[in-house]
Amino acid sequence: MPDFAAPIARLIDELKHLPGIGQKTAQRLAYHLLRASPEGALALAEAIRNAKEKIRECSVCNNITDTDPCLYCTNPARNRKTICVVEEPNNILAVEKTRHYSGLYHVLGGALAPLQGVGPEQLKIKSLIERLKNGAVEEIIIATNPTAEGEATAVYLSKLLKPLGVRVTRIGVGIPVGSDLEFADEVTMLKAMEGRRDI
Amino acid sequence: MPLKESEAIILRSYPLGEGDRLVSFLSRSTGRLRGVARGARRPKSRFGSTLEPLSHIRIWFYERETRDLVRINQCELIRSFLATQRDYAAGLGLAVISEVTEAVLPEHEPSDAAFRLLLVTAGAIERSGQIALPLAYFNLWTVRLGGWLPPLDHCASCGIEFGVEGVFASPMRPGLLCNNCRHPGMRVISPRGLTLARRILTEKLERLAEEDWPSAPVNELNAYSLDLIEHQIERKLTTRRLLEKNLESNT
Repeated sequence: MPDFAAPIARLIDELKHLPGIGQKTAQRLAYHLLRASPEGALALAEAIRNAKEKIRECSVCNNITDTDPCLYCTNPARNRKTICVVEEPNNILAVEKTRHYSGLYHVLGGALAPLQGVGPEQLKIKSLIERLKNGAVEEIIIATNPTAEGEATAVYLSKLLKPLGVRVTRIGVGIPVGSDLEFADEVTMLKAMEGRRDI
Repeated sequence: MPLKESEAIILRSYPLGEGDRLVSFLSRSTGRLRGVARGARRPKSRFGSTLEPLSHIRIWFYERETRDLVRINQCELIRSFLATQRDYAAGLGLAVISEVTEAVLPEHEPSDAAFRLLLVTAGAIERSGQIALPLAYFNLWTVRLGGWLPPLDHCASCGIEFGVEGVFASPMRPGLLCNNCRHPGMRVISPRGLTLARRILTEKLERLAEEDWPSAPVNELNAYSLDLIEHQIERKLTTRRLLEKNLESNT
């Protein structure tokens, strides 16, 4: 990038590493930061540094946290008989938003994805099995994404966990609220029919 | 910028931006293409399950001359392999054929044979739940369609016809060699493996699947074909390590 001063070129280059940020957006962000007050730019830099230094993985559930174990694992008010298994830490927020789940979590760190070289060994499955050994957990809710990878992970986990005497359930998959049946494809509709329940 | 319509198979997709997907697909009429499906990761996406790997779909897209990526407008499901991929081993098999197809086919070059091969193999994996033989069939045919398969009946060095002994192969050397001409470190293909290779090239996969094949010759062919493919694409296949581990645990 010969058109930019070296420090700006470096800033643009670093910003380009962020997901969804290309050359143009990186340039826009870099110029925005340069136009911002020194305090504002330094506060952003400090926030990134602080987060990188203080945030780590929870040794129990693998969620990202600044205290180990994390707030979910140490909260005595949470139901210890249920564990919700998710792919990534940000999936916990989606479940928490419902305000209807009060159990614990387990973050797998991804899903079975052979095209990305991710097999069972690359996921945090052993630590999940360890958590079941004291017999306190009665139900595992598998909340992996409703994609091919997420479904494969759910079935793989269910085969592994059911023999341990724990109830294994899968979150509902099908028609999203507010959409129209007319536009649902065959697989989505089939999933919705399979997952129907009494009302 | 006219809207194009084609039959296609989804090879793989990656998350893009906030809620979009970058999709690699094999179009029957246009060849391998990459395109953007806007909003495909959102819950109310109009694409639904159509962009899942190996989905056989009808696709409508815009192609612009100055852009590498096409814009995917709409998809309609013809056949889904999502249920097959619920099984890890079957999903792994489908991932292998998807990765190999994406690696060996150049963009914008239609290949009806590769399209049919992909569907036949995915169908066989779906029906049987087995991956070793369908993959041996797929990999060997991919090598054949790529023009990298040496003659299977005589030694590339001395020209002697192969008999009842095994033959030797290496992706670094052209052709198969007999026991007298072989070099150290070459991979052995047993007589059974050679017979299977010849039959794969002349018979339908359905017919071959009716027979009970021992795992050794099937795995030999898979290993040899994947060696040749990796040699041609000049990189290791991501799925190969997981595949070999899976095949090993089943033998």
